[in-house]
Amino acid sequence: MEESRVYLKKMATGQLVEASLLDEVIDKHLAMWKASWQTAMQTHCAGRALRDKPEDHHWNWTQKADYWRPLLGYHSFAITCEGDLQGLMLVSDFESARVQAQFGKPIVYVKFLACAPWNRPEFQTPPRYRGVGTVMVAAAVELSWNLRYRGRIGLHSLPKAEPFYRDTCKMTELGKDAAHQNLTYYEMTNTQAEEFRLTH
Amino acid sequence: MQDTEKRTMTLNLTPREMAVLEDLASKKDLSKTAVMRLALRLLQAVDAKTQMGQKLMFEDEKTKEKSEMVLI
Repeated sequence: MEESRVYLKKMATGQLVEASLLDEVIDKHLAMWKASWQTAMQTHCAGRALRDKPEDHHWNWTQKADYWRPLLGYHSFAITCEGDLQGLMLVSDFESARVQAQFGKPIVYVKFLACAPWNRPEFQTPPRYRGVGTVMVAAAVELSWNLRYRGRIGLHSLPKAEPFYRDTCKMTELGKDAAHQNLTYYEMTNTQAEEFRLTH
Repeated sequence: MQDTEKRTMTLNLTPREMAVLEDLASKKDLSKTAVMRLALRLLQAVDAKTQMGQKLMFEDEKTKEKSEMVLI
């Protein structure tokens, strides 16, 4: 497991703080998810109607890990900061690009990306840290570069995350995908990836 | 996780197999080695899904006709 130093913005002070990006989700991270993240999610969701729950409220990272761990084509990432888990991501590396200019070429596909509940404005104001999603997308782009995929990535976005991928990450929107719960598919070309690396 | 330790093997291919590999490497913008490694990861992922009782399906975008690929 490799650890990289990254930075998140601590909203209480406005300062950038050091965080760790790990290129493998290990049992310790899953224990942290279960102990604090899942608990916060369950507390927040209690008594709420389905439409008022976070779109990822049902994601069980322990069950997901049981599936992806033996498989070579999956890569998991965790971000920790000041002793707490701040974000988790799972990507695969064997899917194909859909944008015409790179159609059929391999991409890193982001299957799941989530920041911890305390980093979301619907859980607390202000959120504890900002920047988790950007660091994770940057990690997916870097993995794509390391695999010689030239930074190409793709993903299906949950509805509330779409502005982040469209406006912040500047990914290309390719419309709703009936094969993926009608979620909108986004892709980052190698040119967009170079731009993203320069600006984030 | 990036595995850093590598083990070497020799792969003997027929001319036709090599031609296919070279064609795929060109189309995918990858080295021939990278194509073989990608094929391994993909086959393992598909095998895991089929072991779970799922099917590998292809759908024609125009006609919506579906066909199942059965792997050995």
